[in-house]
Amino acid sequence: MQVCSSLPGNRSWIRWLFLMDESALERYFDDSIANDSCLSLEEELGVQSPAPAPEDPSFLSGKAGPSREPGEELDLSFLPDELSTQEEPGCHDDTETQTAALDVSQDSGIIPDYNSQDSTAAADPQQGVSLLGVGASPFCPMTPMTPMTPMTPVTERSGIIPQLQNIVSTVNLGCPLDLKFIALQARNAEYNPKRFAAVIMRIREPRTTALIFSSGKMVCTGAKSEEQSRLAARKYARVVQKLGFPARFLDFKIQNMVASCDVCFPIRLEGLVLTHQQFSSYEPELFPGLIYRMVKPRIVLLIFVSGKVVLTGAKERAEIYEAFENIYPILRGFRKQ
Amino acid sequence: MSGSGVSCPGCGSSNIVDDDLYSQAQMVCVDCGSVVSEGVLAHDPNGGSDVSYSWTTAVTRKPCVNLVKGLQRVKAICRILRVHKEIEDLSQAYYKQAYQHQSFIKVSLQKKEVLAGCCVLVSCRLLNWPITMGTMSCLLDADPMAVGVVYQEMVKVLSIEAPIVNVTDVMEAHSQEYKISPLHVPEQLAENSKDLAKRAVALVELAADTWIVTGRKPIPIMMAAIYLAWQSLKPSKQRLKFTLDRFCQIAKVNKHKAALKRITEMREVLCKLGREIPWLRAEVTPDNVARQVDDILKNRYALLRRALRTHEDALQAEDSLTEEAASSRASEPVEHTPTASAVGLCGLNSERTQQPGDGNESPCKAPELQSDSQETQESVPNWGKRVLFAPPCVTHPKRRRAGQPGLQDVTGDEEISDSEIDSYIRTPREAREFALTQKILSLSESEKS
Repeated sequence: MQVCSSLPGNRSWIRWLFLMDESALERYFDDSIANDSCLSLEEELGVQSPAPAPEDPSFLSGKAGPSREPGEELDLSFLPDELSTQEEPGCHDDTETQTAALDVSQDSGIIPDYNSQDSTAAADPQQGVSLLGVGASPFCPMTPMTPMTPMTPVTERSGIIPQLQNIVSTVNLGCPLDLKFIALQARNAEYNPKRFAAVIMRIREPRTTALIFSSGKMVCTGAKSEEQSRLAARKYARVVQKLGFPARFLDFKIQNMVASCDVCFPIRLEGLVLTHQQFSSYEPELFPGLIYRMVKPRIVLLIFVSGKVVLTGAKERAEIYEAFENIYPILRGFRKQ
Repeated sequence: MSGSGVSCPGCGSSNIVDDDLYSQAQMVCVDCGSVVSEGVLAHDPNGGSDVSYSWTTAVTRKPCVNLVKGLQRVKAICRILRVHKEIEDLSQAYYKQAYQHQSFIKVSLQKKEVLAGCCVLVSCRLLNWPITMGTMSCLLDADPMAVGVVYQEMVKVLSIEAPIVNVTDVMEAHSQEYKISPLHVPEQLAENSKDLAKRAVALVELAADTWIVTGRKPIPIMMAAIYLAWQSLKPSKQRLKFTLDRFCQIAKVNKHKAALKRITEMREVLCKLGREIPWLRAEVTPDNVARQVDDILKNRYALLRRALRTHEDALQAEDSLTEEAASSRASEPVEHTPTASAVGLCGLNSERTQQPGDGNESPCKAPELQSDSQETQESVPNWGKRVLFAPPCVTHPKRRRAGQPGLQDVTGDEEISDSEIDSYIRTPREAREFALTQKILSLSESEKS
C-alpha cells in the first residue's frame, strides 16, 4: 500500500498484501510513513484547509480576481444560484452579525478593519477582494466552498476531509489464464514464478498495479478513488482480452480503502492511550504511532504525534469520513495538553 | 437374535443371527451359513471400547517438558530482574495460559522463550514495575521486533490491557546500568548515581512537555538525558568536550545512534529556555547551555511561561506588521522569513490567530492557503514553524518528491482507447526477441552455476 505514489522498486507491499496482518503492516510503516509530510495534501491543496471551508475567503478571492472592478458592487454571479440570492447591498451588516456567530477562534480584531475599509468605499482591488472574502460569510456554513468530490461529506464539525491514498479491489476475469504467455506478450508485465505465483502488471493511467493469477482472479491496487480503481481494473481486463483470453469483468469489489489527513496540532498519545485503553495500542518501542481500532465503523486509525492520521480498513468512503468525524473531537480533547 | 439390519454377502438374506461359538461372538446367516462378521477373541475389560495406555496407566497427566522448561525460564528471568514474588507468580500463570493457546503451542522453541520474556514484561507492567521492551530483548538476546510481535500476539490472545511504560519510571532503573560512579571512573568524571538519575528524570520530563518524547523509542531518550545530566552536573571543560561515544565507552553501555539526535533536540529546547533567563548576559548556544541546565531545570515552569509569552508577542507583532504591509501593497506576497512568508502568503486574506494570553504550546490556527499564490519554500502551511515547541517531525518534515496529481473526475465507465491498450502489448517481433533473449540468459546462467 502506498501513501506516496512511488511504486517502482518498492516490492515490500506485495508481501504485505498477502500477509494482511497487523504486525506486517506495522513493520511496513516503520519505513518512513510516520514522518511522511502530507504528500497527498500538497497535491490536494483546495480541500485540505483545516478551518471550516466557508470562512475561506482566499478561495473566493482567487476566483474573484479577474472579474471584479474597483468600486463596483460585489459581483457574486459566479457563485451557485441559491447563494447569490443572499447578496444584498446591506450585506455588510449581516457580515458583522454572521462573523460574530462564527467560530470564536476567528480574530475579531481583523474584521472591524475590513468593515471600516468598506465604509470608506476603497477603490483598491485588494480591498474589494477582502470585502468579498468577508462578505462570503453570510453563506450557510454548511455549504463547503471547496471543490466538490463526488460524494461530499458534511464536514461541519472538523472541516477536514481525509484524502484517499490507496484503493485495493478485486475482480474475476472468469477464465483461466496462461501466465507465461501473458508475461511474454505484454510489455508491462513481470512474472517470476519462483517468487510469486502471479503476473504483476502495471498501467500508467490511472497509475496502478495489478496481480493477475492463473485462476483468472485479479487484484488491483494503487488507485486514488473507487472510480479510478474500476477504470484501471477494466483496462487490465482489456489488455488480457487483447492477448486472446475470453476475459470478462465479474464481481468487481473494493476490498480496502486507505486515507490520510492532518489535524494540524500535536497530539498527546500517552494521554489518548490512557483514556481510550480498550481501543488503543501505543508502543513507542515498536511503532511511533498509536493504533486505534474503532468499533463503529470498523476502521483502524494510525494516529501520530504530528497530528497526521491514517485511516484504513474501509470498504466504503463513508466509513472513512464517519471514522474521522468520530475521532476528531477525541483528538481535539488532547490538543491543549 | 435376528434382524440386525445387515444383509449376508453370500446370499443377500437379511436373516442374520448372533451365534456364540465357544467364546467368540459371530454373526451367521441362517440361510447359507456364511459368517458375516466376527468379534475379537479377547474382550476388552471395559466391554468393547479402546483404552489407550496413557489413559489407564498414567496416574497424573505429566505436563509437557517444554512447558516446564519454559516456566523455569520465566522464573530465571524474574530472578535476574529481581522483581518481587507477585510478578513472578503472575508471569508464570500467564505463561501457562499462553503456552497452551493454539497460537503458541506449535511455535518454535525460540519463540517460546521470547514468549516467556513477554509474560514477564506484561506482568511487570501490570504490577507497576515497568521495564522497557529493549531491556527484555537484551535479556533474551532476541530481536526487539520479534519480541514486539510476540508481545502483541500474546496480549491479544490473553486479552490483557497493560498500561504503557512511562519513561520517567524506567529512568532510574536504566541509569543503574551506567558505570559512572566514583568506583569505576576517575574523580573528575564520576557522578553519584542518585543525583544523575534525578537530573536525568527532570530533563526527560522537560523533554516530554516539549514534544520530544511522544512517539519515540525510550532508550535513546534516556541515554541522551543521562549524558546531558552528567555534563551539566559538573560542566567543566573536560566534560563538555566529551562526546557521546566516549561517554558510553567509559560508562560501559552500548551507544544508540538515535541518542545523538535526541541530544541535539534537547539542547535546542534548553537553549530556548535558557534565553529567557533574565540575569544572563552572554548568548546561550547549544554548546554552552550545559552550564545553565541547573538553573533552567530549577525554574523550568517559569521559564516555559516566559518563553511562550515572548513567542506569542513576537507572533502578534509579526502579524500586525505583515497586515499593514499587505494592505498597502499589491498582490505579490513578499517572502521575508519562513514564518513571515507563511503569513505573507495570506496577507490578502483575513488571518486568524489565537487569542493572546492563551499560554501553552498549542499552535495557532494554520493560515488559509490556496493553490494560487504559492511560494517556493513551503506549499503547506507548516503550523510547526509558528509554534515555539512542536514535535520535531513537524518542524523538520521529510522532503518528499511531488507525486503526480492524477486523474480527476473519473467515472469508471469511460471508453478505453484501443491505442492505449495496444501500447501495453508487444509486437510479435518484440515477443520473439524477448523469448530468445530469455533463453540465452537462462542458458548462460545455468552454465555459470
